[in-house]
Amino acid sequence: MLIKNYKILLWGLAAALTPAFAQTWKVPAVTKTLKNGLKIVVSEDHSAPTFGICVAYGIGFRLEPEGRTGFAHLFEHMMFEGTPNAPKGTLDKVIEGGGGNNNGDTRYDFTEYIETAPVSALDPILWIEADRMKTLDFSPANLENQRKVVEEEVRVNVLNQPYGLFFAIDLPGKAFDTYPNAHNFYGEFKDLDAAKIGDVQTFYEQYYSPNNAVLAIVGDVNPEEIFAKAEKYFAAIPSRPSPPKAKLDEAPQTAERRATQKDKLANIPALAVGYRMPARGTREAVVAAVTGELLHNGQASRLYQYLVKEKQKAVSVDGGVNWPLGNPFEFNGPTLMTSFVVAPPGTDEAAVVSAYDAAIRDLTEKGPTSQELERIRAKMRSDWFGQLEIPISRASVLAHAVLFDGNPQMVSSIPDQIATVTADEVRKLAAKYLVSGNRTIIWRVPEGKEKK
Amino acid sequence: MNRLQRFAAPAGMALACLTVPAVSAERKPLPKELPAYGVMKPVKAPAVKQLTLDNGMTVWLSPSAGFPKVAFTLAVRGGYTADPKDRPGLADLLSATVTQGTASRNARQLAEDVSAAGGDLNAESTSDAIAVETSVLSEKAVNALNLLADVMRNATFSDAEVEIAKNNLSSALDANEADPSFLGRRALYRALFGDHPYAVTAPARDTLTKTTAADLRKEYTRRFRPERTLLVVTGDFPEDAMEAAVRAAFGSWKGVGEAAPINSEKPQVSISKTIVYVPRANSVQTAFLIGTLGPGRKEPDYAATRIADAIYGAMFGSRLVANIREDKGYTYSPGSRLAPKREAGVLATRADVRNEVTGASFNEISYELNRMATTKPDEQELEGARRYILGSTALQLQSRQAVSRSLANLWIDSLPPEELGRQTEKIAAVKPEDVEAAGRKYYPAWRMTVVTVGEEKVIREELAPFGLEFRKAP
Repeated sequence: MLIKNYKILLWGLAAALTPAFAQTWKVPAVTKTLKNGLKIVVSEDHSAPTFGICVAYGIGFRLEPEGRTGFAHLFEHMMFEGTPNAPKGTLDKVIEGGGGNNNGDTRYDFTEYIETAPVSALDPILWIEADRMKTLDFSPANLENQRKVVEEEVRVNVLNQPYGLFFAIDLPGKAFDTYPNAHNFYGEFKDLDAAKIGDVQTFYEQYYSPNNAVLAIVGDVNPEEIFAKAEKYFAAIPSRPSPPKAKLDEAPQTAERRATQKDKLANIPALAVGYRMPARGTREAVVAAVTGELLHNGQASRLYQYLVKEKQKAVSVDGGVNWPLGNPFEFNGPTLMTSFVVAPPGTDEAAVVSAYDAAIRDLTEKGPTSQELERIRAKMRSDWFGQLEIPISRASVLAHAVLFDGNPQMVSSIPDQIATVTADEVRKLAAKYLVSGNRTIIWRVPEGKEKK
Repeated sequence: MNRLQRFAAPAGMALACLTVPAVSAERKPLPKELPAYGVMKPVKAPAVKQLTLDNGMTVWLSPSAGFPKVAFTLAVRGGYTADPKDRPGLADLLSATVTQGTASRNARQLAEDVSAAGGDLNAESTSDAIAVETSVLSEKAVNALNLLADVMRNATFSDAEVEIAKNNLSSALDANEADPSFLGRRALYRALFGDHPYAVTAPARDTLTKTTAADLRKEYTRRFRPERTLLVVTGDFPEDAMEAAVRAAFGSWKGVGEAAPINSEKPQVSISKTIVYVPRANSVQTAFLIGTLGPGRKEPDYAATRIADAIYGAMFGSRLVANIREDKGYTYSPGSRLAPKREAGVLATRADVRNEVTGASFNEISYELNRMATTKPDEQELEGARRYILGSTALQLQSRQAVSRSLANLWIDSLPPEELGRQTEKIAAVKPEDVEAAGRKYYPAWRMTVVTVGEEKVIREELAPFGLEFRKAP
């Protein structure tokens, strides 16, 4: 079945198939700030009669009070529980009845509320978002209800799941030393149980002001129209004193940290490795992003090829910088490059770690080849565009950039920044950061099934 | 960390041109200040150029300029339905290995070449088909097409790669057997479909042990054939040049020898009136998966059942979510889904509930099912669900990959691309009595196969009052 001259035959067609602007595609983005401090970013895209919206607030896990672990996320649930003007249930009826759907997300450095719908539902959805930026219902009964729902969420995703997200919760918990970066963001049940409606009110007052928020809209709209509508629905919401800046700094790590955990639910062992990463916005952070993808992105990645294929010490490999709670560019405090490796039954820790170390050492000593670097640049550009295809997801990416930087410039510049990373930079970064004194390792082993 | 993790929305597309009346809440009126919806703009279903190559291969091209990516979906007819009777789930091993090397590129080169084009090479088996997909940068579309043709025509199934894949699928099965949703789904499909290939959700251990590289090479020749293959291309490309490239890449492809038979029997509804349980020690929740056969895309009541399902449990604002999450707080992620296969649909309710409310949750789910079976929705509730489905199908048109996959799903069911628009017209025409009839036909609680995954003692004690027989999942 082999056909000859097959690539040569297609060669001539390649030129005809390449649209001239593909290399240079940029995200349109126009911004404005209202008098009350609400920042707005609009990206026109008329390819479908739909839109996506993201309202992102500058509050995440790191800022939740001590003794109230999990509160930022519990609070997020309360944002869906109604207001004096629009009682519980109204929001979903308006959005789904408008042909749309919605969700909320809490992460380390932001909490976002996202919707997408046919553009005919734009005004009602803007009204709903403005309404919950003014005030909430603050109902103790609804808090009690959502406390139960969140506890079920923790059960379904952590307590009743093999591996229990240990690579996302326990790993940073061990890798970092300060409360903002190290605590269990999903929440200890005693803390969730202790939350009172007064806490909800205080948190809302502190963090849910227009001057601590970004409104991003993408789709079949134009900026002037959106700015006028934003004025109409949001301008009357008063600004409030800015929330205090948090201290997020960590003392440098000096030695490798290791732990072993038993898992009552898993059948086969797993390893998580976390290296502390350079600060966002630095050149090193861009190099780190590329390094993380060289190691983890898909079947062509170094860790997949070495651990799964060559050494067969892994069944699967996942990870990257700021994984799994965001992409390598969307964080605003200390973060890790995490690897999550599921190992074949009966594998011992030393065998997996030594194979992992060999893969890291190769990058540290030799750096990537030029072909490999060119490949990962194309893959990362393609993945970055992939996030910008759908309006709801583009709105989210734009909102985070404006929240962190005050402008959306980063979103367009990522492909260019990636394109300039050199092999030598990767090698140097790996040699500096991917060292044992800068990492934390957790080995998670099935209880009672260590030797299957 | 999310507010919800919903079941994936059912595949489908919109061709809606509606003037939209203001929707009111079920009982409470909406806020007076709330602005009215605008007029829903017509959504154009994607224009598709349909070709049949001389070798019988179907090609659907749907270009859309602007965003610089191209999505490819190749679908081969016959998934688990084409597996030999004694090798259930062989299709999974076939899809895991078909991407692991061709006559001119080893597995690593394939992975690197597709990555250099900006994509990942994904192959996946379902009941009715095997799909090979990627999404790449427009400027690299020809490289990706070239590579996909190589995979479809020249895969080698080397002994070493097949051995690795067998070991990995076996370990993946070990890992999955700790996961309540995997266990629930496997038990439900086995109970619903018995000997029919739709019962398969994962490879049997025996299949992984017995199947050799030579078997896979034979299956590949019997199954990967031009007359059984569809190629869909969506995204930013010039149509004529792509057509020429496709003809050059696939035109000389010929099937060799006999094609594998495909089991296209229509499955029969089985009603068990039992509680099937999968014992899982140390569970802190009971995972319910409660299901029955529903309509496939070709059935006349498919549209009405989609609306019934949205009202019952597929929307966030549905009755089920309002009851067991927003009112009672029993669960985080309840929901229902109508999943169409070629010869039938599966209608399933999912809820993971803390152990101590297992019985109470089952009572409420049964109540909501029976309410669907015995009452007619009012006009407003129907209108909300209708618009939700029209809107969400319109939203799917935003993604090139989703369009590509949706078109392939239609072809797998022997439906034309125009069905995208027709489905929308059918949704627009559904009346309350159609939903009532679908509710009566598909939703009675007694008709459901009830699967539970969790602590056996909890399940037996909590569900004892319902008087149903308990049966351990095979």
